[in-house]
Amino acid sequence: MAELKPILLVEDNPKDLELTLAALEQSQLANEVVVVRDGEEALDFLYRRGAHESRNTSDPAVVLLDLKLPKVDGLEVLEKVKADPHLRQTPVVMLTSSREESDLVRSYELGVNAFVVKPVGFREFFDAIQDLGVFWAILNEPPPRRNGI
Amino acid sequence: MTLQTQDIDLTACEREPIHIPGNIQPHGILLAVRLSDRTIAYASANVAEVFGFQAADALGRPFAQVLPALSAEFETQLDDPPTVGNTRFVRTIRIRTVQEERMFETAISRSGDCALLELEEPPVGSVSSIDALYPTLRRFVEQLQNASSIDVLCDLAAQDVRRMTGFDRVLVYRFDDQWNGTVVAESRNEVLPSYLDLRFPASDIPAQARELYRRNRLRIIPDAGYTPVPIQSHDPAPLDLSDSVLRSVSPVHLEYMRNMGTLASMSISILREGQLWGLISCHNKDPKRVSLQVRNACDFLTQIFSLQLEARENTMLAENRVRLGAVQTRLLAHMAAEEHFIAGLVNHPDDLMMLAGAQGAAVLTQDHCWCLGQAPAKEQVRALFDWLSEHHQEDVFATDNLSEVYPAAKAFADRASGLLSISVSKVHSSYVLWFRPEVVQTVKWGGNPQKPVQEEAGSLRLHPRRSFEIWKETVRDRSLAWDRSEVEAVKELRNAIVGIVLRRAEEMASLTEELRRSNKELEAFSYSVSHDLRAPFRHIVGYSELLKKQEAGDMSEKGKRYVDTIIEAAYTAGTLVDNLLRFSHMGRTALKPRQVDVAKLVDEIRQKLSAEQGDRRIQWVVGDLVPVNADPVLIRLVFENLLDNAVKYTRTREKARIEIGSSRKDGETVYFVRDNGVGFDMKYIDKLFGVFQRLHRMEEFEGTGIGLANVRRIVERHGGRAWAEGALDKGATFSIALPDQNEGAA
Repeated sequence: MAELKPILLVEDNPKDLELTLAALEQSQLANEVVVVRDGEEALDFLYRRGAHESRNTSDPAVVLLDLKLPKVDGLEVLEKVKADPHLRQTPVVMLTSSREESDLVRSYELGVNAFVVKPVGFREFFDAIQDLGVFWAILNEPPPRRNGI
Repeated sequence: MTLQTQDIDLTACEREPIHIPGNIQPHGILLAVRLSDRTIAYASANVAEVFGFQAADALGRPFAQVLPALSAEFETQLDDPPTVGNTRFVRTIRIRTVQEERMFETAISRSGDCALLELEEPPVGSVSSIDALYPTLRRFVEQLQNASSIDVLCDLAAQDVRRMTGFDRVLVYRFDDQWNGTVVAESRNEVLPSYLDLRFPASDIPAQARELYRRNRLRIIPDAGYTPVPIQSHDPAPLDLSDSVLRSVSPVHLEYMRNMGTLASMSISILREGQLWGLISCHNKDPKRVSLQVRNACDFLTQIFSLQLEARENTMLAENRVRLGAVQTRLLAHMAAEEHFIAGLVNHPDDLMMLAGAQGAAVLTQDHCWCLGQAPAKEQVRALFDWLSEHHQEDVFATDNLSEVYPAAKAFADRASGLLSISVSKVHSSYVLWFRPEVVQTVKWGGNPQKPVQEEAGSLRLHPRRSFEIWKETVRDRSLAWDRSEVEAVKELRNAIVGIVLRRAEEMASLTEELRRSNKELEAFSYSVSHDLRAPFRHIVGYSELLKKQEAGDMSEKGKRYVDTIIEAAYTAGTLVDNLLRFSHMGRTALKPRQVDVAKLVDEIRQKLSAEQGDRRIQWVVGDLVPVNADPVLIRLVFENLLDNAVKYTRTREKARIEIGSSRKDGETVYFVRDNGVGFDMKYIDKLFGVFQRLHRMEEFEGTGIGLANVRRIVERHGGRAWAEGALDKGATFSIALPDQNEGAA
């Protein structure tokens, strides 16, 4: 079995963060959940720079990305990730409170892997997060590596 | 000595230089005195007969030396010579000639740096003084004032000119827009035939001849069989005889006169505002001279006549303007009262047609065509509109012979031989058209208008027509001509409409701007609702769930119930926000219709609903469900709502029965969902599809009261209808109809 890669959770709202973590916890995924609080930090993590310069974790199995973020927002992070030849293959799931179609359209234009509107009901919310975690962290077969790292 | 001769080697009458013929008519003599040195520069050859010296011998010599008596007579005139275009009658003088002392009527005019002196012997027995002419002139002026119409004025002018001159026939000849002429009045004896009502083609009087008519108001040819008298000079330049009274006329014209059987003619120009309006044309079978005095009196009379004519025409025009102004005011009021100005026009066809004195009218826009009164058929008007849009975008276009420019009009000549049109908007291409029917007139031409001049084979020499046989030509496809006041009236209407259209356009633009702004605000609002309002509800639900889970053991039953209520309330609020957003979305997003497999769709929804219902027993009766062209996401929402309702409102039934089916007819597909649930009272039918309208208490049936509003809105955006039938406690049937042809633009 392949190494267990972390889930990168990008969320600035502490309540959403807590609820998301609770949901992920209940899904009993073994993957480590790395939490960053804004888009800039997310990029720092992904590019191994700033506070994450010397991280020893591997690249995330999936990025759960909130759309509305301070400094660099979710769409910008998505754009950078999908424009980068090395990061492009990392799955990004946009998690948002917004039901606005324009955000959805824009996300898909930028190459988002999934777009989830956070459901109001806690059960639905749990189900969604768990499904995401299971799918992207376990079921999803990542593309084969081109160089032998 | 240079003998000025001319030949008529001309390719067209138009180019004949008739103002420098080099000859004069033989009934008088001409001398040109150079103003700078008072020498004789030109002299007609016939001075020899009168004064006994050869013209050539006088050339270059001082006027005072050659003809001292005459020079003395003209001294003051030469000191103050007339300007070009102002021939001056001087007076009757008595001069000693070779034979005896004789009477001469004298005139002076200007030609370059020369003064032209022209001397004519008055014809035998002519009235010799202005006093004798005065009573006629006075009576004419008195009668003019009482003349009621232009026709009467013209008759009077013809009669009095004949009375003063004694010609066999005097005609008043009027030009039309194309310079064809019509004889509108006539006074004659039985010597010459009547020319009344005859038309003469424009080519009978070429442009440069008309210019001379305009400039030199009176011309006389006492004998068409005359032998021209050459003008002699040492000066190589030909003498400009534009203002001369003795000027020799074109041989073509003399031939024309001889062919016409009139050996003497005189014509006086009728000018209106400096433009040639017509001619008073006098004819005599035999040669005839009219004294310069009488000619001047005729010119004077004609000038008075012209003024009266102008006044009369202006009065008529003013009367018409006032009359049409009232009609126009009414039309403006009609237009102002209507939502759209076009309604103001088409709902008042009588006023619209009266404005132009038309029997039919049409109002056209890119999309619509209103035909009023005696108008051609709609398709014909449409085709005419296309032609106009392509060829006549000018503000106003008028013709009394439409088929001449638009041959297809022959088909409806009885309705629209005459067309007057205004182009209202060039961008959106709209027109108002007025029609006049064909008026079959018998026009008598004074010559074949198709063939005015005959060309001799192998030669460019021109001949006037030889035959003056009058034939009648029936002019077809022609209406009465549009009057100046009518053209002006429609032009003014156009300005008014353009004003209205512009104002409306500005209002629309500002409304649109406002709408755009408020839409933007709404969008921003909806975005913030979507994001910021949903989150707190989600948090309430989430934390309450966590609380319930972790603290369940420590909570009383009451506490648990409170937490459940909090969860349920927040959940309902969150769902409501979701539904509201969806509802507002529906109005904003464009439809993306495609073929939807309704049977499959219903099947999916049914399975999902059944799964949620646990052990409830529902009997599904699914009939034939035809596919439909619609937005798949939205149409799914419609069926979800309808089936969800059916499941919900049959909950109290032991055996729930839900029937779904479809039928096709009259270009639409009807789907229905029938249940045997609690139903509703038909008296609330109008409220059923309203936003937040609920017919049941919350604790009986959950829901936000927006589902059916969504259904109706979606169906209507597809161009369809939604309705319901039901009875309290007996179930309900909800139906939607979707049209086959769905533009999806709403």
